[in-house]
Amino acid sequence: MNRARGWRKTAYHVLLWVIALIFFAPILWIIMGAFKTTDGILAVPPQFVFVPTLDNFVDLFNRPNVLRYLGNSILMSSASVGIAIVVAFLAAYAFSRFKPRGTSFLMFMLLSIRMVPAVAVVIPVSLMYSALQWKDTYFGMIMIYAMFSIPFSVWILKGFVDGVSQRYDETALINGGSRWHIIFRVILPQVAPGLVAAFIFNLIFVWNEFLFSLILGGRDTTSIPVSFSTDLYSDGGVDWTFTASMATVYMIPPILSILFFQKYLLVGMTFGTVRGEV
Amino acid sequence: MAQADLSSPARLQQAAVPAMTPLRRFLMRFNRLFDDARLLPVLLIAPVLIFFIVWNVIPTLWMIGLSFYRYQISIPDSLAFLGIDNYTDIIRDRAMWQGLSRTFIWVFFGVGIQTLLGMVLGFLFWGSKSMPGRRLALTLLFTPMIVTPVAAGLFFRLIYEPTFGILNWFTQSFFGQEVLLLQNPEVAFWAVLFVDIWMWTPFMILITLAALASVPKAEMEAAEIDRLSWFDRIRYIILPHGKYILMLGILLRTIDSFKTLDLVYLMAVPGSTTKLIAILLRESAFEALNVGWSSALAIILLLTAIAFTSIYLYILNLNSKAKAKEVAT
Repeated sequence: MNRARGWRKTAYHVLLWVIALIFFAPILWIIMGAFKTTDGILAVPPQFVFVPTLDNFVDLFNRPNVLRYLGNSILMSSASVGIAIVVAFLAAYAFSRFKPRGTSFLMFMLLSIRMVPAVAVVIPVSLMYSALQWKDTYFGMIMIYAMFSIPFSVWILKGFVDGVSQRYDETALINGGSRWHIIFRVILPQVAPGLVAAFIFNLIFVWNEFLFSLILGGRDTTSIPVSFSTDLYSDGGVDWTFTASMATVYMIPPILSILFFQKYLLVGMTFGTVRGEV
Repeated sequence: MAQADLSSPARLQQAAVPAMTPLRRFLMRFNRLFDDARLLPVLLIAPVLIFFIVWNVIPTLWMIGLSFYRYQISIPDSLAFLGIDNYTDIIRDRAMWQGLSRTFIWVFFGVGIQTLLGMVLGFLFWGSKSMPGRRLALTLLFTPMIVTPVAAGLFFRLIYEPTFGILNWFTQSFFGQEVLLLQNPEVAFWAVLFVDIWMWTPFMILITLAALASVPKAEMEAAEIDRLSWFDRIRYIILPHGKYILMLGILLRTIDSFKTLDLVYLMAVPGSTTKLIAILLRESAFEALNVGWSSALAIILLLTAIAFTSIYLYILNLNSKAKAKEVAT
């Protein structure tokens, strides 16, 4: 009896692993491609066993613009999300504690920014950027990405600040603490998980963002997702070794972040509206 | 906690001792500025408001204005007031209606299949708490949804490739048949939709797991003791607890699926069977440079999104009310 149960459990776990691997298979195929030669990628029948080579990565980092694009991606995502988190945390505190008139309307408008198709948002912004000559500048790109990250950050952080009892604020006030002290010394440490979650998931969104970068960016501010659509052709065909190795490098940060911050995945993928652990 | 006993006499004396340099005085005043109960909320919200106004409200108002004009960047002096002609044009435009109906099919089948598959797999993963390597397995499972959509489009272009793609090799060696997916306009739509389903089924698995996690253990145990059938367990216990989270997930997916652009753009198919509404809008705005018309279409999509958002928030409210009731009883 017990043994049969053990078998069933093993079979069940194997089944779950197989499902997970099926979903991962297309990505695994690309990662394998990154370690093949061009002939190896194009071989018919496909090679499942092969001698791995690191040539593609050497070639990748020797290309003239790749490091700059990668730097752009890193700079734009971290700077914009950094700004967004600071700004959003202050607002989240105000929304949670003072509930000024129009709070729910503002929260609603913020959420709806994220629900609108990105093209519809980018049309007017692109007109404005043309007029102000902010296109293809780091300032312009970082600011639009910060705007893009703020709604989600406010939502997620308001949820976390709501979770901290008002008693803490009152105790600190009675003991003569300034609001500044309350916000940064009393509340901030308690919502640290929220800050981490907001940071990680906004970073992933900006990291993967394509359309804003395609339309508002240019030569100076090209990010990797855009370079996927423009730089990958060579000799009339798609340069598959470049694509595979670039994609492999570019996927590492998001995959590591969901590996290490898995418990924030739910709150992160639902814009902070559904909380809980999976 | 350095200022905890500020009001005690000892502390007052101490406060007078450090020299009141101008900088220190300024910092203290600055700190106290935040204590004004009327000023503080305004100060805290101001940065978000500035962002919101400069990068959203002003451009949107501008766009609303332009939607009443003929404005084509490529043609000089094309600016002319049209009234609501752009809107009536859109309503009469056949390509737009085709794009819209295509988008509905995309959303309906995409979200539908993701939801069904996600719920089934979510159920399967429910009892996986003791699984060896669970964290790694879940990371692999959830990776598709955090991969750059443009890159995902490229992966599948390699897989679907007719001469050396792995899919074609597979069908040829097992069924002796060559498949043209992206090159054939009739199936290209479904081939791209398949990628979308692959990317977002994990999201519905995540949502299902969240919904299941919100079911109280005691009720499930009671159901087991009462030997309730699985059908009844789902109907009387799981759905009442998890339905709102499921609805939120489906709605979020619907909204997101409605906006799909990157993936389809990168899988770039000849013909027009994959021209979803977002793709059409991008083309009219940034290739045909027909700004007036595009603005009008963007406004329509904006209003749709706002409507979706209100439904979303309505369900979110129901969810928190249901939770509050649960705690109260």
